[in-house]
Amino acid sequence: MTEAATIEVEVTAIDQVTPLIKHFRLAPVDGGTLPAFSGGSHIIVVMHGAARAHRNPYSVLSPPNRLDAYEIGVRRMEESRGGSHFMHDSVRVGSRLQIAHPVNLFGLDKIARKHVLIAGGIGITPFLAMLEDLYGGPVPYELHYSVRSPEHAAFLVRLRRREGGRVHLYCDSEQQAIDFEALLGNQPLGTHVYVCGPGGMISRVAAVAKDCGWPDSHIHWEQFSAPPVGDAFEVFLARSRISVHVPPDQSLLESIEAAGVEVPYLCRGGVCGFCQTRVLEVDGELLHNDHFLSEAERASGKTIMPCVSRARCRSLLLDL
Amino acid sequence: MLVTGIKSKPVYAPLRYDAGGRYHVMLGQEVGEAPLLRVLGDMSGSPEALARTRVLYVPLRAAAAGAAPAAAFGGAGVADVRIFGTTAALLEAFRDLLGRALMGTRLYVAGPESFIGLAMKIALEFNLNKDEIRAEECGTRARRVYCIHCRTTTENVRTNIVTCGGCTRSLLVRDHYSRRLAAYMGVMADAEVPGELPPIREVFA
Repeated sequence: MTEAATIEVEVTAIDQVTPLIKHFRLAPVDGGTLPAFSGGSHIIVVMHGAARAHRNPYSVLSPPNRLDAYEIGVRRMEESRGGSHFMHDSVRVGSRLQIAHPVNLFGLDKIARKHVLIAGGIGITPFLAMLEDLYGGPVPYELHYSVRSPEHAAFLVRLRRREGGRVHLYCDSEQQAIDFEALLGNQPLGTHVYVCGPGGMISRVAAVAKDCGWPDSHIHWEQFSAPPVGDAFEVFLARSRISVHVPPDQSLLESIEAAGVEVPYLCRGGVCGFCQTRVLEVDGELLHNDHFLSEAERASGKTIMPCVSRARCRSLLLDL
Repeated sequence: MLVTGIKSKPVYAPLRYDAGGRYHVMLGQEVGEAPLLRVLGDMSGSPEALARTRVLYVPLRAAAAGAAPAAAFGGAGVADVRIFGTTAALLEAFRDLLGRALMGTRLYVAGPESFIGLAMKIALEFNLNKDEIRAEECGTRARRVYCIHCRTTTENVRTNIVTCGGCTRSLLVRDHYSRRLAAYMGVMADAEVPGELPPIREVFA
């Protein structure tokens, strides 16, 4: 995906919905309509910071039938490399940003007989759009939403106003926790479970569902990883015949892009597999941080997802 | 005429116990008894799994009915064994069972392909997918054939050409299979030159 494929948007509203989450409305600057999307989609937001550009994935939370603007929710990350801080501190109403076309890696199963949605914190955002697709339909669904405390329950009023009894809220502050065993051990055949939230919650849901006999094809999850900070290293791009320096706070993908080499990508969060790149040689260790490659692929040392993964190495040769 | 090598023709594999499942539902028709007993043998070390296993079996031949199959499944450690007099009654009970079943259920089907197809058709209504269903084909290869002209399904077809039970057209039996209908497609064999048919042979023994 190239910069040419982005859409210029203007921030038309900003709401501080919880102490950590801001809600942004992004409308196209030319006043037209935005591309259609389905519930669970995300967009990449391109932010031109003072030192460098950030490209972060955010779920679109607005109704899929509303294309005059996209809405996103951004949580301020403590260990941000700058993207969420930029959105929180530098973006104002009237600011301009670029976004990439929506992509859905977390869609609803169209023939499911029931949907169980599980959200942790900011993980509520993709479900807000999915619920629009489910509301009033024939397929039963329920949402289980876990937060630190009531003040952190973003969009709860919006959810309760319409979804009523289908929304179950759990507050850590009140010692309330989702009983995953009871929830997943008691669902009718043909149910699909979707989870978006912290890594611990996702692995817990996946483990409990598996234990209850759920096949993987009924378990859906999405977690965008921010590229972790690491040691600097050098990479040589075999086809481009250039050497690229990867500094500690820049991802491998960002460094390659900064050197003028294009790598196809969709999510930039280790989920979609689009940027998977062949490793021709490595003298050292690949540090895989994605959610895409299998254990066997990782062990092979022949492939890497440059959006979130790095290397601790003396040299790295990529097929780019 | 193109009748073979069509990818929609289902391919089945020998049944194996799936220890990842929490509940196990086994369906058998006629000679399907043996593969089910083989799977139950593999489960003999897991009394908990056997306690969560149900068997629905239809012997078909009257001579094979009676107490023998129930005793065989019971002897393998299954408490919940139901023997049916007809396939229709078994399938009705199966649909009722799936309506009450929980996620974590694995389905095992053993018997002729036509029986597997009818069971799969019901399983599909409940959104069970290939990870949750295993089937082993044994016994007759006679086909259910769906007439694409009058939409009648003719059962127990053993020949390459069959007379449709609905419209009496001579149908060529293709390998083109519909999971939704649990039947092979039958198309008029002499549409170009009425009465001109290839030799009729028994091909689905």
